[in-house]
Amino acid sequence: MTRRLWIAVIAELAGLAAAAPRSAAAAQQIVEAQTALRSGRYESAITQFSRLVEREPSSVSVARGLVRALSEIGRYQDAVEVAQEFGRRNHGSVELATSLGEVLFSTGRVQEAERAFRSAFTASDSLTARFNLAVLQYSRGEVDAAMSEFDRFIDYYNRNRGLSSEHLTLVAAAVRYLGVGDEQLYKDALLAYDEAISADPSNLEPRVQVADLFLQKYVGPEALAGFEAVLELNPNHPDALLGLARTRRFNGMPDVMEPVRRSLEVNGNLVAARVFLASLYLESEDYAGAAAEIDRALAVNPASLEALAVKAAMRFLQLDQGGFDETVRQVLSHNPRYGELYNTLAEVSARNRLYEQAADFAARAIELDPQSWRGYALLGINQLRNGLMREGRANLERAFAGDPYDVWTKNTLDLLDMLERYALVSSERFEFVIDRKESDLLALYLTGLGDEAYQRLHQRYGHLPETPIRVEVFPSHADFSVRTVGLVGLGALGVSFGPVVAMDSPSAREPGEFNWGSTLWHELAHTFHMSMSDHRVPRWFTEGLAVLEERHAKPGWGVGVSPAFLAAYRQGRLLPVSQLNDGFLRPSYPEQLGFSYYQASLVCELIEQEHGSDALVRMLRGYGQGRSTAELFTTVLGVDVERFDDTFDQYLADRFAGPLRAISVAEGEGASPHASRDEVAQRARSHPGDFIAQLAMGQILVEEGRGNEAISYLERAKALFPEYAEADSPYWYLAQVYQVQGELERAESELTALTMHNERHYPAYTKLAELREMLGDTAGAAAALEGALFVYPMGAEVHLKLAELYTGLEKWQGAIRERRAVLALDPVDRAEALYQLAKVHYDSGDMSEARRVVLQALERAPNFEQAQMLLLAIHSRNEEAQR
Amino acid sequence: MGLPAGTGVGVRSIWLGLLFASLVGHAGAAQGYLVVVSGLGGDQVHRVRFHDWAVTLLDAARDRLGVPESHTVYLAERPERDPERIDAESTRENVAAELTRLAGEAEPDASVFILLIGHGSYQGDESQFSLPGPDMSAEDFAVLLDRFETQQVAFVNTASASGDFVAVLSGPGRTIVTATKSAFERNETMFCEHFVRAFAEDGADVDKDDMVSLLEAFNYARREVERVYERESRLLTEHAVLDDNGDGEGSVDPDPSAGDGALAQRLFLGLAPGALVATAADDSVLVGLYRRRQELQNGIADLRSRKEAMDPTTYERELELLLVELAQTAQAIREREGGGDGDCD
Repeated sequence: MTRRLWIAVIAELAGLAAAAPRSAAAAQQIVEAQTALRSGRYESAITQFSRLVEREPSSVSVARGLVRALSEIGRYQDAVEVAQEFGRRNHGSVELATSLGEVLFSTGRVQEAERAFRSAFTASDSLTARFNLAVLQYSRGEVDAAMSEFDRFIDYYNRNRGLSSEHLTLVAAAVRYLGVGDEQLYKDALLAYDEAISADPSNLEPRVQVADLFLQKYVGPEALAGFEAVLELNPNHPDALLGLARTRRFNGMPDVMEPVRRSLEVNGNLVAARVFLASLYLESEDYAGAAAEIDRALAVNPASLEALAVKAAMRFLQLDQGGFDETVRQVLSHNPRYGELYNTLAEVSARNRLYEQAADFAARAIELDPQSWRGYALLGINQLRNGLMREGRANLERAFAGDPYDVWTKNTLDLLDMLERYALVSSERFEFVIDRKESDLLALYLTGLGDEAYQRLHQRYGHLPETPIRVEVFPSHADFSVRTVGLVGLGALGVSFGPVVAMDSPSAREPGEFNWGSTLWHELAHTFHMSMSDHRVPRWFTEGLAVLEERHAKPGWGVGVSPAFLAAYRQGRLLPVSQLNDGFLRPSYPEQLGFSYYQASLVCELIEQEHGSDALVRMLRGYGQGRSTAELFTTVLGVDVERFDDTFDQYLADRFAGPLRAISVAEGEGASPHASRDEVAQRARSHPGDFIAQLAMGQILVEEGRGNEAISYLERAKALFPEYAEADSPYWYLAQVYQVQGELERAESELTALTMHNERHYPAYTKLAELREMLGDTAGAAAALEGALFVYPMGAEVHLKLAELYTGLEKWQGAIRERRAVLALDPVDRAEALYQLAKVHYDSGDMSEARRVVLQALERAPNFEQAQMLLLAIHSRNEEAQR
Repeated sequence: MGLPAGTGVGVRSIWLGLLFASLVGHAGAAQGYLVVVSGLGGDQVHRVRFHDWAVTLLDAARDRLGVPESHTVYLAERPERDPERIDAESTRENVAAELTRLAGEAEPDASVFILLIGHGSYQGDESQFSLPGPDMSAEDFAVLLDRFETQQVAFVNTASASGDFVAVLSGPGRTIVTATKSAFERNETMFCEHFVRAFAEDGADVDKDDMVSLLEAFNYARREVERVYERESRLLTEHAVLDDNGDGEGSVDPDPSAGDGALAQRLFLGLAPGALVATAADDSVLVGLYRRRQELQNGIADLRSRKEAMDPTTYERELELLLVELAQTAQAIREREGGGDGDCD
C-alpha cells in the first residue's frame, strides 16, 4: 500500500525540471540523474542528485529527486533529513512536505505524515498530497473520509484534459480504491492506467500498479507480463521485483525467492518484501524465519498493518493464543475496520489446510468490513472446501456481485453451475459427485474402492474421519484445477480438503498418465491425516505418508524410484528432512516436487520400519497438538531431525546401492544419447555394470528382431536396477522376447514384475492378462485386468474380457459389475449388452434381476432371439420354483 | 414363391435381392437401387479412401445383403482405377444422366438409395458437392430427385458443409441424411466411414432383427463419430442429421415416435424383416404364426409409444406378456421351419 504514496514524485520531477530556469548543462545533469533513477541505478542517481542539491539548494525538483532515490533503496532517515533540510534552507517552504510525508508514512510515523500532507495543500504537488492523505486516512479506517477524497479524483479527471502520466496514475489509483463500491471502476482504473502509460511510456509507476491490479484480480499471466516488462526497463525496481515474486507464487512457478531477495538487496527496508518473505516462511513452518522477517519489517514500520497481520497469523499457527490476541489488538488499534487482517488469517489458514478456521476468519473480515468482497470469496471458497455447498455458493455470489473481476470467484461459480448437473452417487461413507456422462461407469469402481480405502485406513490409524466424505470427479482437468485453486493450470491429479476430495476422472487424461485408484487412495489418506491432526500436519509428511499408503494399498501402486531421483541424490540435490517442506511449497527446480514426493514417502517408510506404524500415528497426533517436525522427531522417534538426515542418507545409500552404482557408471563416463549403434554395442560390452548401456543395447536388438541376443543385455539391465519399470523397462522388452519364443511363463513373470513396480502401464496389465489366460490362469488374468481398470476404465474391451473371465470363474458379482460397466459405456448395441447382463443374473440365480434386465433388452429389440430364449428360460425357472 | 419347410438359413439367400423393402409384410413387391457417387478426391489419399468406402458398401450390398449388381451404379472421379466396378466418371452430366435414367426405369414403388462420398464446400450462399468438372448444389440434386415421383428416395450426403442439403431436398417419401448440420461445418468428415461400416460389419443392428435399417445405420455412424472425437479429445466438428418427415429440419438424434426417424426405421439395405411372411405362403400354420408375430410386434410398438403415459408397473406387466408370447411365437416359427429350439447362451 505505501508504494502508492510515491506515485507523483516523478511527475513533479519532470514538471519542475522543465519549469526552473537553469543552464543547459545543469538541465542535462538533472535529466541524467532522473534517467539513473528510472533505470534503477540508484546509487548513481543519489550521487548526481546530491551534487545538484549542493549546487541548487532551492531546486524543488532536485530535492524531490534525491528524496525519491534515497527512499527507493530504503534510506528513509536520510530522505527525511533531506526533505527537512530543504524546508529549513528555503524559509519553511512546503514544496518538500509531500515527499517528507510519504517517507514518514512508510516508516509508521503516521501523525507526522498527516501533518506534512496537510501542510502541502498549498504546495505545487497538492494533488499528490491530497491523494496521500486519503490513503493515510483509509489505512486508519477512516474510510468515508478517504473515499470522499478519492471520489474527487473522478471529477478532476472529468474536468481536465491532457493530464500528465503522473496525475493519470493518481486518478487510476484513486479509482481503484473506489472500485470496492462499484466494480465498474476497476475497468476505469485500467483505462486510466493505460492512458498514464501512453502519456509517458518511461513512467514505470502505472505499469507496476496495473500489474499489481491484475494480480489482485487473479489474472496471473497479465500480472507476470506486466512485472517482467517493468524489470526490462529497470531491473532493480524493488516493487516490481516483489510483484514478480508474488506473481510467481500465485502462478505456482518456481524461483519465487530469487526476485524477492533481489528486491531486498536493493531495498533492505522494503516492508512489503519482508512481509511477503515472512508469509513464505510461515508456509514452510519456519516460524523463526518468519518472526525474524516480521521483526525487521516492524523495525522499519511499527504500524505496518500487513506485517502485524502476518505476525498474528504466525501466532495463530503456533497456537500462541495470547500472542495472537495481542497482535490482533494492535492491528485494530491502528485501524478498527481493517478486514484484511482476517483475510490474511483466512488465506494463511487455507494455505496450511485449516479450511474451517479460514472460513471463520473470512466471516470476521466481513463483520469488520461489509464491503470486503475478498472476505466473501474466501468464506465461500473455504465453505465449499468444507462441503458446505449451498452456503459457499451464496457467499461467492455476494463476492461476485461486488467484484465480478475476481477470476477465482467467477470460475468457481461457473463450476458450481456445472456441478449441479453432475450425478450424486452415495455409498456407506461417501458422496461421489460425477459427470453424468460417466457416473454409471465410475460409480461401479469408486464406491467399492472408497469403502475399502476407508476401512483399511481406519484399521491402520485407528481413526474415523467424519462421513460422508464428498468426492468430486472431473472429466476436465481444467475444472478440477478451478475447484482446487480457482484457476486452470494446476498440475496435480487430486486434492483433499479433508471432508471434500476433488480429482481428475480417468477420462481427464490419456490412458497411462495416471492411476486413478491410487490417486483416490492417496487423497483419502490425506483426509485421514488432516482429520487426525486437526489439519495441522505439514505438507511433506502427509504427502509422504499418503504415497506410503498407496504402496500398502495394492501391489505396484505408488510412485517409484527413477534414475533422475538417484542422480539428484548423488548430486546432493535432495533436501534434508528438516527442509523437505520447501520441496513441495517452493521447489527450486522443476523436478524437485516429484522427487520430494518420493523422498518423503521413503522417510515415512523408514520411520515405519524402524519405529513401527504407531510412530507415524503418534506424529500425526503430535502435529495436531501444534508440535513441530523437529519436536516430534525428538519426542516420538528419539532422534533429532539433523541426525535423522544422516540415518536417512545411509538408508538411501544402502537401499539403492546397486542402482546407484549402475547409474554412476553411466554418469561417470557419459554414454552419449546420440551414440551410434556400434558405440552403444561397444559400451555395453565393455561396461557390463552400466545400466543405461545394457538397456539401450537390449532395446536396439529387440527392435532389430534379434530378441535372443537381446536377452542377456536386458537381464543384466534388470539385475542392475530391478526397480526400473518405466515404459522402456527391461521387463517390457523381455516379456515381448519371451512371448515370441513361446516361453509364456517367463513372459508372464516379467510382466508380473513390471506391474509390481509400475502402476500406470496399461498395456502391461492387458498383456499380462492375455498371457495368464493362455497359461490357464483365469483368476490371475482377471486380477491383471482389475489392475488395468485402475489405469483406464473407459474402454469396453477390457470390461467385456473381464466379464467373460469372471463368468468362467463363476464370480458372479464381478461379472455383473463388468456387464454393467459395458452398459455404462453406452454401447451402440445396447440390447446385446443388456442381454449379457441379464444372462449373468440368470446364471447367478437371480431370476428377478435377470427378468427385469432381459425385458429391457427385448423392449429395445423385441425379435432378439437369444434374449427371447432367455426370457422363456426365466419363466420356466420361475414356474418350476413355484411348483 | 414358396419355400420348402426346414430350409432355415437358406431362406434369406433367396430374398436378399430386395433393397429398401418397406416393412409392410409384402416386401417382395418393392425393388431397390443403390447409386454411389464418389466425388473429387483432391489428393491420392482421399481418392483411395473414397474408393475404398464406395467399394466396401457395394461389396456389402452384393455379398451380405444380396443386392444384384444390375441395381447398383457407381460413379467415381477416375473410372480407370477400377473399370470393372466404376460405371462412369462422376461428372455432373453423368450423375444427372444416371439419376434420370433410374427415375424412368425404376418401378413406381421402388426405393432408391443415393450416397455421396467426397468433399463439400460452401460458396456464395449455397453448399456444393465437389465433382470432377462443375460441382453440384442441393438445388441441382433437387431437380433430379423431383423426377422420382413415386419412388422412395434415401439421399445421403457424407461430405463436409452438407447440412444445407436437408432444407432443399426434404420432402414426402424422402429420407435426407447429411454428415453435418449446416454449411458451416467445413472440416473433413468421418461420418461416411462409419455409415458404410454399419452395413458392412456387425454392430449396427440394435433391434436384433438381422437387418440394418437406414435409421440404425445413421445412429451407428453418428455415435461412432462422436466416440472417435471424444476418444481423441477433439471438439466435435461434424453433427450428422437425418430428416424423413419432410419438414426440412434435420434431427441430430431422430426419434421415430416424435419427429424424424419413422420412415428411415423402415428402410433397409437388403431384405426387410417381415419379408419372410411371403416365404411361408404354402404353410398355413406358418403363415398364422408369422401373422401373430407381426401382431405382437405391432402391439409392442404401440405399447412403447404409450409408455410415458402409463404406470411403470402396468407397462412392464403388459410388455412382458407381449414379449413372452412373441418369444413363444418366434420359437414356434423356428421349430416349424426346422430351426430347433436353440438355447439361451
